[in-house]
Amino acid sequence: MTAEWQIFAAVFAVGAASYAMRTAGFLAADALPQDGLWPRFLRLAPGNLFVAFAAAGIFEGGWVSLVGCLGAAATMRATQREWAALGTGFALVALAAIVDALMRARL
Amino acid sequence: MVMTMTTTAPASAFTAAAFRRGFLGALPFIASNGIAGIAMGVAYRGLGLDFIPAVLFSLVVYSATAQAVTLGLWALPLPIGAMVAACIAINARYLVMGAHLRQLFPDVSRRVMLPVLFFLADASWLMTTAEAERGRRDAGYLLGASLPMAIGWIGGTAFGHALPLKPHGPLAVAAAFLPLAFVAALLPTQWRGRRSLLPWGVSAAVAIAVASAVGQGWAVLVGGVAGTLVSAMGGDDG
Repeated sequence: MTAEWQIFAAVFAVGAASYAMRTAGFLAADALPQDGLWPRFLRLAPGNLFVAFAAAGIFEGGWVSLVGCLGAAATMRATQREWAALGTGFALVALAAIVDALMRARL
Repeated sequence: MVMTMTTTAPASAFTAAAFRRGFLGALPFIASNGIAGIAMGVAYRGLGLDFIPAVLFSLVVYSATAQAVTLGLWALPLPIGAMVAACIAINARYLVMGAHLRQLFPDVSRRVMLPVLFFLADASWLMTTAEAERGRRDAGYLLGASLPMAIGWIGGTAFGHALPLKPHGPLAVAAAFLPLAFVAALLPTQWRGRRSLLPWGVSAAVAIAVASAVGQGWAVLVGGVAGTLVSAMGGDDG
């Protein structure tokens, strides 16, 4: 499969999964348990997945990514504006990348 | 996420008046989702994606978090299975929202609701829930509130991709960071006080351990599930 077809396959496979999640709860509402471990698990999953994603990303990106993540999260907490958090994270990572490049050049 | 599930619902409807009310109420999301969409478009461009697949991603998947995680897993050959699994796990919250909407709109046919649910977003669900709590149960409101969000996100992605930007050096690093920024920005919305400390610590530790052993794709799933189990078993009611 060429790279282009892989991309389209990914778009439609992830898209189908995304739409399935949007409709499955509505279609299976009567069959889903309303309390107990299952609905709790569904509600708690996103936050833990986000943390795992951030941790793995910081592990890979190093201190530059850590600075960006902390800046984005702090800005979101302070402003409740996603665009402000994205802008802050972007700017901090650009600055940290400059500092990182300067530090490497001196070594 | 806190929500009240009601079991006795008055008759629900789908009206043009509610659609208009929802659309007008959600108009500011064209700007806020538009800016976030621009960031996603820039990230897609930085990845080397052409315009059509970039816009298709936002149109067909239409989920900032799922798209950000998909970008984070990007490597050729594409790990489509891991991407789908991550999308299902990240969007698991929609199962709860969908079940709640079924309770709000028991009289609206599936033929009407299934297309509307394509545009379901966290914010439009919250707005519709608040509207229902004010005694106005109308699926038209859900569609009306959802559309500006979709227009902003998809239009922003197209605009961001079309911008004449070719990031180099530090700007390229910052553009590559954007998917992670999306997720980091969402973290405060999921923080549940001290109850989150242990499960989030477990999620992070397991994710780093798995990332160093087998790679980032499985790290997200395994770490996230481990932390969620700790949360759920610890009595956190979500």
